[in-house]
Amino acid sequence: MNEWQRVHPASPFVHGWLAIVGLLWVYWQNTDELSWEDRFSGSRLTWTVAIGSAALLLVLIFYALSWYFTRYKISETHVYVNSGMIFRSQKQARIDKVQGIDIAQPLVARLLGLAELRFDVADGSASVMRLSFLRKAHAHQLRTEILALAQGEVAAPSEHAEQAEAMEPVPLMAKVPAGRLLASLLLRVPTIIGLLGALTVGIVSITGNGAFVAGLLPILLGFGGWFYKELNNSWNFSASATDTGLRISHGLADTKQQSLPAGRVQSIQVSSPAFWRLLGWYRVEVNALGVGDEEFSTLLVLPVGDFNAVTQVMGILLPDLGAENQREVLLTAITTGTAHGFINSPLRAKTLSPGAWKHQAFLATPNCVITRFGWLSRSAAFVPHNRIQGMGWQQGPWERRHDLAGVRLYSAGGTIIGYLHQLDASVASEFFAAQAQRQVER
Amino acid sequence: MKTPMESLPNNFTAVDPDYFKVKLVNWSIQSSCYLLVALLPLILRLCGLLVPWWLVIVPPILVIGIALLVLRILRRQVRALGYQERAEDLMVRSGVLWRKQLVIPYGRMQYVEVTSGPVERRYGLCKLTLNTAAGAATAVIPGLRAETGEQLRERLVAAGEANLL
Repeated sequence: MNEWQRVHPASPFVHGWLAIVGLLWVYWQNTDELSWEDRFSGSRLTWTVAIGSAALLLVLIFYALSWYFTRYKISETHVYVNSGMIFRSQKQARIDKVQGIDIAQPLVARLLGLAELRFDVADGSASVMRLSFLRKAHAHQLRTEILALAQGEVAAPSEHAEQAEAMEPVPLMAKVPAGRLLASLLLRVPTIIGLLGALTVGIVSITGNGAFVAGLLPILLGFGGWFYKELNNSWNFSASATDTGLRISHGLADTKQQSLPAGRVQSIQVSSPAFWRLLGWYRVEVNALGVGDEEFSTLLVLPVGDFNAVTQVMGILLPDLGAENQREVLLTAITTGTAHGFINSPLRAKTLSPGAWKHQAFLATPNCVITRFGWLSRSAAFVPHNRIQGMGWQQGPWERRHDLAGVRLYSAGGTIIGYLHQLDASVASEFFAAQAQRQVER
Repeated sequence: MKTPMESLPNNFTAVDPDYFKVKLVNWSIQSSCYLLVALLPLILRLCGLLVPWWLVIVPPILVIGIALLVLRILRRQVRALGYQERAEDLMVRSGVLWRKQLVIPYGRMQYVEVTSGPVERRYGLCKLTLNTAAGAATAVIPGLRAETGEQLRERLVAAGEANLL
């Protein structure tokens, strides 16, 4: 504490292992036509070794310098991270402004038993401060220490803090078993398209049409990438309740632990892709401020779960919907129907949305606005009144012809919007005026 | 309580009619750029390349047709622009075919920008942009007189501070 320390010496390697792989790849490309004997015999061997070791030495020197110039210090009030040799960067975060610390482990770091600390600081700075990399145990210990400091406690001896956290029973809200996750991913439309595409490619390549296959392959790789990203993000997912909100941990190759204080949640979306509805499965995402890697992406809170899991997660994120029989309202919100006061699109919207008109609906409670849209795949968005940043009323030429209009509710921290689609124009106007009043009440 | 349809015609402050000239200048610059691209086949043919006749004729006609259609609603577009300072929020409306009204509560405002491009400056106009924490909830009022824009900005900032406290 209170003096400059260095990160783990292997850190530059975790950041820059691609450089070494790149070097090997360049070597491989340039000696493609040679056999192994040619590569390692005579004067060629000498050159290979000489150039190879020179390049390796250069890379190692860079690594060493990068490590040498990366230092961190934790004082009573601040966390400092300095890095960079030529372009120096000095970052600091006030500990009392630290809202949460995520522990992330990219694949290579995980293989080496290292972890990265990501500080979520509420001082308006856009970028997340990172401290990478430390031994995993050390990272956890630092996290507890800093969080303890942030809560205004005197730095307790670290073992105690560690124990306290380990002892404290954290009620587990939702856990996603691997089998269900795989099943849910297989039922997603992109997976199905990708598999059909792969099948086509297989058949066509047997009949021998090379150009066609070459054209389809990049698209297939795209689907594969999507699948892997989803899998990597949702694997071994568990969400547990803490006294301030949710803690989620997940990851296949790159594991992550994130804490999501309930106060950071801006809006919530419960969606059910086409085939999931047959099984009653849902996924929950949130717009949250200052959590997650990118500022404008939504945070996955539950990759797949049944209605019970959804109620549990919602109970943490938005405990009070402002309705009397919460459970039924929630069920109506994420399935279909106009029970409990939901107002849907009028029959004349059928010409514009033949499938979805019946399911498009909204409900304004004293606490939030609930909107539902979609036909085969349905989503419900929950936007609390005091989280609405702005509201837009809109009407296109065809909507005007049918006397319909829509309203959108925008919130910060992600892409989820409350979407009231193709309502009766007078209902939309009424809602627009009433909502303008509701969202400025304090 | 007014519904937005009721408050559509009269309660909004319209933007400066001079903004039509700005739109007109922008329209002519844009249209000439598109036309230049559309005339490329003709130029190539004049240079002696074998370009089919339909490729020479169709693109310029399309470009001119669309440009004239846009020109027709340009004045209405300017007239449709308007804003209204209400007790707790700012309402901005726009659009002729696709009508929009955006409401931003003063308390959610992050910062207000007043910008003006070279064409706008020539007519003494500016554009006011009101940003919130949500990217989609950004109100833009173009075609304000420079001093009106400044005053509006001052008022908005003051209202934002009053609502934050």
